[in-house]
Amino acid sequence: MENENVIICRCEEVTFKEICDTLKQYNCSSREVKLRTRAAMGYCGGRSCRSFVDTLVAEFSRRPRADDVQLKYRPPVRPMPFKTLGGE
Amino acid sequence: MIDCLIVGAGPAGLSAAIACAENGLSTMVLDEFMKPGGRLLGQLHEEPNGIWWNGIDEAEKLYQRAKALSISFHLETSVCHLEKVDGKYWTLHTDKGKFSGKNLLIATGAAEQSLPIPGWTLPGVMSIGAAQVMANVHRVKPGHRGIVIGVNVLSAAIARELLLAGVNLEGIVLPPRYLLTKGQSEPKDVFQSLLHMVHLAPSHLMKIGGKMALKSSFIRKMAVGTYPKKGFKVWGMPIKLKQTVTEIIGKENVEGVKVASVDSSGNIIEGSEEILPVDFVCISGGLYPLAELVSLAGCPFKYIPSLGGHVPVHDHNMQTPVEGLYVAGNVTGIESAKVAMAQGHLAGLSISSQKNKVSDGEALQNARESVVSTRTNALIHFHPDILDGRRRLYG
Amino acid sequence: MKTLRIKKHPILGPDDFRNTVAFTYNGKTINALEGDTLAAALLANGIRSLRAHEESGSPRSFYCNIGHCFECRVTVNGKEGVRACLTPVSRGVVVESGKKLPLPFKDGGEK
Repeated sequence: MENENVIICRCEEVTFKEICDTLKQYNCSSREVKLRTRAAMGYCGGRSCRSFVDTLVAEFSRRPRADDVQLKYRPPVRPMPFKTLGGE
Repeated sequence: MIDCLIVGAGPAGLSAAIACAENGLSTMVLDEFMKPGGRLLGQLHEEPNGIWWNGIDEAEKLYQRAKALSISFHLETSVCHLEKVDGKYWTLHTDKGKFSGKNLLIATGAAEQSLPIPGWTLPGVMSIGAAQVMANVHRVKPGHRGIVIGVNVLSAAIARELLLAGVNLEGIVLPPRYLLTKGQSEPKDVFQSLLHMVHLAPSHLMKIGGKMALKSSFIRKMAVGTYPKKGFKVWGMPIKLKQTVTEIIGKENVEGVKVASVDSSGNIIEGSEEILPVDFVCISGGLYPLAELVSLAGCPFKYIPSLGGHVPVHDHNMQTPVEGLYVAGNVTGIESAKVAMAQGHLAGLSISSQKNKVSDGEALQNARESVVSTRTNALIHFHPDILDGRRRLYG
Repeated sequence: MKTLRIKKHPILGPDDFRNTVAFTYNGKTINALEGDTLAAALLANGIRSLRAHEESGSPRSFYCNIGHCFECRVTVNGKEGVRACLTPVSRGVVVESGKKLPLPFKDGGEK
């Protein structure tokens, strides 16, 4: 595709190129891609882009996808005010 | 304390709730949408007997049965976390407070898998499901003239619904070819998946290659070669296997798409680019199980592409290895609403049989068989290898 | 321009008997129909843009329409982060779009 600047993570506006460059340089895990680029770290909790990150990691590492979920789900899975989370 | 908490008021959650309540369990259903029915709402397709399956009616029927059984509903309620307390009962944390119950069924369905395309953050670009809900549930057209990107069972079904609602569509075209659209951007791959939709346009597809083309990649390639450049029309709208959108353009809103012709491998044919004016774009890359809450509950997963990706481990009674945790519907793998209803019914009976200390009864056996027969007879298979995927889970 | 409301439908039937409900969006009065979500009401009134990306300012609208993507988040009666796609309209409610934010943590407070 011509445009490598296509946004992959809409929340944090991380591009295809940024993720690929990170993978070329570090050949790292989904979690490390997330920490380095902020992809899948935004408001939606990675619901929209986590599979893209996993796909690119699998492509670059040439390893099959594991049964374990790569980017661990963490609470809250919907953004909530601290008041709601902490009870009263 | 409630006997069974159910997250998700879709076909699986509602069916499970009914089965639980019919067997004497106190049952509570939570969902973040304002209406019960989940993604039944908006589904509209013609059965082989010519009768229309209207998801809104189906949802209403289930909801009325549930209400008659005194099931409590918390709609517009988002579950953000859950925990098992003292190893005994579940507590759900929501934006409307905490709810506790002895058993937990997670029926959160699926989320849409997108296809990132240059310009896709512009207002007017939406998932194909978003357009379905806008038109059939909210009764607002997604725009005046649009185009659908991604040729698959889901996009074809919803495109037809949009046409029924009076929405103008340019057609269905391919996404641009790159790493994240593998398998969905090369005409020869997509052609094969189209053959699973033979029922949509039998005469056209049988003429081009029919089921034969499934068997060998050589024949498939030949068949794609004869695929008309302008696509063929289904319900008056072209499915263009040899056209791709390379960019969505606009400043504040979608103003158009840049399209180009491609060869059977998805290479752009030079000089074929043109701009089509549209004010909305629907992207369809498929669905994946939305299992975040199942994961927080500590359930292990298996990666099974034919079921949509990572699915929670569960047995043929919909029980997970985590005590008191059950799953049903698309969260267990992407299938039709009818399978979800059968799975929900089974899960409800399964939870009830634990509580009532009933052994593996006839009802449970029948419910399991009903899931299998519904799956086998399904009109639409989201993935050709669903049966194989299910074997990997249930052995 | 022709309305985007689907009043007639060959299978779903007519959609005729809903009361009008007015609310404000960025100070402008919007006439919605009872049962609309904020996103549906605004679209029916020709408004797609629901927020500007906090950092880049790029315009955003609803994307998934069922609460998963959070792209349609708006401020409702002062409460931030409300999903326009899941929130039914109610009379007199005050809705504001999300704005681009200054980024003092990135560029040392430069405006």
